[in-house]
Amino acid sequence: MRRLILLRVRISFWLVGLLALVMMYRIVHIQFVDGDTWRSRARGLDNRTIEATRGNIYSDNGSLLATSLPFYRVAIDPTIADSLVFYSGIDSLSMLLERFYKEKSAVQYRKELVEARQKKRLYKILSMKYISHKDKRILETYPILREGRSGGGVIFEKINRRTHPYPNLARRTVGFISEGDTTKELIGKGLEFSFNEQLSGRDGEALYQFIAGGYWKPVHDVSKVRPENGLDVQTTIDINLQDTIHRVLDKKLRQYDADYGVAIVMEVATGEVKAIVNLGKNSKGEYTENNNYAVGNSGLAEPGSTFKLASMLAIFEETQVKLDDIVQTGSTGEYSFFDDAVMRDIVPYGKLTLQEVFEKSSNIGTSRLVHKYFRKDPMRYVEHLANWHLTSPIDFQMVGEAAPFIKKPTDASWSGSTLPWMSIGYELKISPMHILMLYNAVANNGKMLQPIIVKRVLRANKTVLEYEAKVLNAQIASPRSIDMAKQLLEGVVTQGTAKALSKADYKIAGKTGTAEKVIKGKYTEDHYTSFVGYFPADAPRYSCIVVVDDPKDKNDRYASQVAAPIFKDIADIVYNKFIYKPIPTKAEADSAMLRLPVIKAGLRDELDVLCQKFGIQTFTQTDKDWVQTKVQGDTVVWLENNIQPKLVPNVIGMRLRDAIFILENAGLKVSYKGKGRIKAQSLSPNTAFKKGSPILLRLE
Amino acid sequence: MDNVLKNSRQTSERAENSYFEGDRVIWIVVFMLAAISILVVYSAAGSLAFRRMEGDTEYYLLKHASLVLLSLVAMWLCHKVDFRYYSRLSRFALLISVPILIATWFFGTTINEATRWITIPFINQSFQASDLAKLALIANVASMLSKRQQSIHEFQRAILPILFWCGLICGLIALSDLSGAALLFATCVLLMFIGRVPVRYLGMLFFIGITVAILALQIGQRKETAMRRFTNFISTDHKEIPFQTEQSYIAIASGELTGKGPGNSDQRNFLPYPYSDFIFAIIVEEYGLFGGFFVIMLYLTLLYRGMLAMAKSERAFGGLLSAGLSFSLVVQAFVHMGVTLGVVPVTGLPLPLLSMGGTSLFFTGIALGIILSVSRGEIEDLEPQTQADEEKIFRRG
Repeated sequence: MRRLILLRVRISFWLVGLLALVMMYRIVHIQFVDGDTWRSRARGLDNRTIEATRGNIYSDNGSLLATSLPFYRVAIDPTIADSLVFYSGIDSLSMLLERFYKEKSAVQYRKELVEARQKKRLYKILSMKYISHKDKRILETYPILREGRSGGGVIFEKINRRTHPYPNLARRTVGFISEGDTTKELIGKGLEFSFNEQLSGRDGEALYQFIAGGYWKPVHDVSKVRPENGLDVQTTIDINLQDTIHRVLDKKLRQYDADYGVAIVMEVATGEVKAIVNLGKNSKGEYTENNNYAVGNSGLAEPGSTFKLASMLAIFEETQVKLDDIVQTGSTGEYSFFDDAVMRDIVPYGKLTLQEVFEKSSNIGTSRLVHKYFRKDPMRYVEHLANWHLTSPIDFQMVGEAAPFIKKPTDASWSGSTLPWMSIGYELKISPMHILMLYNAVANNGKMLQPIIVKRVLRANKTVLEYEAKVLNAQIASPRSIDMAKQLLEGVVTQGTAKALSKADYKIAGKTGTAEKVIKGKYTEDHYTSFVGYFPADAPRYSCIVVVDDPKDKNDRYASQVAAPIFKDIADIVYNKFIYKPIPTKAEADSAMLRLPVIKAGLRDELDVLCQKFGIQTFTQTDKDWVQTKVQGDTVVWLENNIQPKLVPNVIGMRLRDAIFILENAGLKVSYKGKGRIKAQSLSPNTAFKKGSPILLRLE
Repeated sequence: MDNVLKNSRQTSERAENSYFEGDRVIWIVVFMLAAISILVVYSAAGSLAFRRMEGDTEYYLLKHASLVLLSLVAMWLCHKVDFRYYSRLSRFALLISVPILIATWFFGTTINEATRWITIPFINQSFQASDLAKLALIANVASMLSKRQQSIHEFQRAILPILFWCGLICGLIALSDLSGAALLFATCVLLMFIGRVPVRYLGMLFFIGITVAILALQIGQRKETAMRRFTNFISTDHKEIPFQTEQSYIAIASGELTGKGPGNSDQRNFLPYPYSDFIFAIIVEEYGLFGGFFVIMLYLTLLYRGMLAMAKSERAFGGLLSAGLSFSLVVQAFVHMGVTLGVVPVTGLPLPLLSMGGTSLFFTGIALGIILSVSRGEIEDLEPQTQADEEKIFRRG
C-alpha cells in the first residue's frame, strides 16, 4: 500500500518535472528563437525628437497670420484609476464624453472603457479628434480624468498645430506645408513653404527613458541636441486692409459670379505689398483663397489693354511722337493687317490723337502705331519688354511664381500678326503682379522695384534678416516718356474708359483691360477684366491692380464696368486709411473723450478684451479683478474698485449682470428698476450690512 | 520500514538544538526565495509606487518585507506544531471557510473586477478567503484520504465525502476566481491520485469538475472574462497576442542570458501587475535565463524535499499532507510561469512566496511550516488516535 503511494508520488513528481522542462524550453525559445522580434518591441529607451516650435507669420504691425498652438488628443489608461474612482465616475464620465465629443453614446463609451479596463489595456483613445487647450481644461474637470495621469490614467498627447487667427485672410499667401503621402518630401505653397527654412527651426533630440507612470524621462549625461525654434517672418501685409479688400472683392465676385478675382495693393516707393487677395470659386460656389492667382501659374493670362502701357512706353522711347499726334483708326472699326488678321475696335473711332487712342483703348490705334515703329525690328520691342523685366519671373519671395510667356521674333510661333496683337496684350501671358510692377514703376517715376511681401525675419523681437525691395531698373524710361505715360493714365480716368473713377476726392491714374478669352482656339465673349493704376495721381503713394475673371453679367462685362469700380472702392479705403489726414481741430481733440465708449466699471479682464477689440488704449493702476474707470485723454484708466467683505460693494457704473454677481456673492438680495448701467444703489457703498439684506438698484 | 523510522528520528535529533528544525534544505530554499522576492518586488513595485504612493518606493519595500517576515514567522510557528494537530485544525478551518467564502461573495471588495477580497475589520488588511479555504481543503483531503485508506475502493464511503468538500469549496471559489478554483481542484485530484483513489473514479471526477465549473460560471461574475481569455488563447490567429503576454515576452527576451541586473527592469512599466501576476517575467528580465532556471530549480527542490518528508513520514496523513501542500505550491508556481511564458491562458495567479500579496504569502508560509513539521516527524506522544487503525495498516504497507 505504501509502495503504491510512493510510486504514484514519484509519477506525479516526474510529471511536474516535465512541466519544469517545458518552462525552461519556453524561456530558451522566447529568448533565442523569437528573441529579436520581442526585443525589438521593447520600449525602454528611445531617442526622441524634441520638436522645435515653428515660427510665426506676422502682418506688418505684428498681428498673427499663422502661429503654432498646442492641441491635444485624449487617451486613457483605464487600468490606473482604482476601482472606487473608476466605477463611481464611469457613468457620469461617459455621459460627459457623449456631450463633449458627440461621437458615441454614453452607453458605448461606458462599455468600451469598462472592457478596456478588464482587458488590462493600458491605452485607449477617447477620440481621434484633437482638442484645443481650452477644451482640455474642460476635460480635466471630468470625473476620473480629473484625477490626472497618475490617479485617473488620462493621457493628453500634445501636438503643435498651425492656427490662423484670421482663418480666411491671405490664406493662400500664408500657404501651408506638409509632408508628402508617399515620399517624405515637403510639399506646400505660399510663405509657409517659401520660408520654411527660417520658420521650421531645427528639431532637437534627446535620449529618453520610459519610466513608471507612463512618462518619458530624459536620461542625463547623454549628449543632447537642443531644439532650435523657428524664426518669425514678418510680412508687409496690412491685416485690416487685407480684411476690407477681401470683403469688397468677395462681394463683387459673388455679384458677377466670376471665376476668380485678384486684388493687390502695393506701396509705390517701397514695393511692399500691403494687401494681396486671391479669391477663386470652390466646388460649393463660395470664394476662397484657393490659388495664387496674383503671382502663380493659375493667374497667368492674356492681360489685354493694360499691356498697352508697355507699348506706348516703347514707342515713346523709340520716337519723338507727341500725345496730340493724330492716329487714323478708320471709319469701319476694323483694320486688316493681313487677310485673316483683322484688328477690331468696339466702335469706329475715326481720327484720334495718341492720347485718345489710349484713353478710349483703341486696339487699331495702338497696334498700328506699334506696327509702324517696330515692324522692321520687332526685336527692339521685345528688348524693351525684357528691359522692364516683363519677360522673366520677378523672383518674388514666394515659390511657384509663374514665368511670363512672351514670344520672341526668333520663335517658330512668331508670325506677322504677333507684334500687333502683342501690343494690345494678346498672344502673351503674364501675371497680375507683373503688370502691377510695371505700373508701379511708372508711378515711381521710372524706378522699377521688385515687389516684396516679407519685410524681415525675426528671432523673438530681434531682426535677423531685413528685406528691401530690389531695384530692378533704376530708370525704365526717360523722364519724358514717364511723364507722357502718366498723362495717358490720368486721361483714362478723367475722360477715358474709367471716367467713373474721376469722382474721387483725389486723382486716380490707371488703365482698364478687357481681354477676350481664348476657348478652343477662338476668342469668345468670356472676358478677363482688370484695372491697374495708382493714386493719388499727382503724388502716387499706392498702386493697385484688380482682376475679375469671367464676370457673367449680361450688361456689365467690361473692365470699366467690373474691375474699375472695385479699384475705386479699394482706393477709397486705402486713401482714407493712409493718405487722408484731416487737420484735427481743437474741438475734435476734446471730443476724443466723448468718443470713448461708456465704460464705467466691471471685471478688468473682460473690459480689457473689449477695449483691445475696439482699439482703445487702456492703462492699469490696479491688479484687482473689479475695477472702476477714469478717462485720461484718449486712454481709459482702470482704478481699483475696493470690494471688502462685510461692507456693501460699490456697483455704481456697472452693468446689471456684474452687479448681481458681486452683490449676491456678498450676501445681499438684489432687486432693480430701470435699464442700462447702475446709477444708484439703496445701500451706500462701503457700509456694513446684514447678510440677506435687500438692496435696490436704480439703472438708467 | 524500520530504516525509515530510524532516519526520521535521527533527523529530528540532529536538529534538536537548533531553532530551525525539520528539513534544512527546505529552510534554505525558502530563505532564498524570500530574498529574491524582496529584491524583485521592490523593483517591480516601482511603477505601483508611482501610481499610488507618488513615488514612495520604500513604502512597498517596507510593506512587502514585513509581510515576508510575517509569513516566515507563521512558517516557524507552524513548523513547531506536531503535524497531527493539523488534522483537526484543518477540519475547523474548512468549516469556517465556507461562511467566509459566502460572505466574500456577497460583501467582498472588488479588486480588478473580481470579488476575492474581504477586509478584516480593525487591522484593515484585505484578506483573500480562498487562500485559507485552499489550505484547509488540501489538509482535509489528506486527512480524509488517510482515514479511508482501508476502504479506498468503496465509492460511497471513501470518495463521496471527499468529493463533497472538493466540490463545495472549489465551487465557491470558482464564483469569483475560476482559474484558482480549477487549480485547486486539480491539486485535489492529484492528491487523490497519490492517495490511491482508483483511476476510474478520477476520470469521473474530471467530468464533475467541468460540470461544476460551468455551473459556477453561469452564477458567478467571471464568465465573460473566462470565455474571452480562453477564446483568446485557443484562437489560431497569432497576430493578436494579448497585450500582457506580448509585454511578458519582451521582458523575457530582453533579459537574455544574465539579465539586466537587479532593479533594471524596463518592462515593469508596461506589464500589468509586474509585482504579482507577472513577477516571473521580471525575474527573467532582471536575472536572465540563469535566474529563471535557478528559480525553477528552487521550486523543484522544494517539491523533492516535500516528497522526501512524505517518504520519511510514518503516517499516511503526514505524507499526504506534505505531498498535497508541496504539489499545490509548486504546481501553482509552474502555472504562473506558464502564464508569463504563454503556455497557459492569461490568469491572475501569484507566484507562491515570490509575488507581493499579503494573504497569499501568509498562507504559503503556513503551508511550508506544515511541510516542515511533517519533515520533523512526530514530536510528542499524543493520546491514542482516532486514526490508529489506518495508521497501522499504513505502517505494515
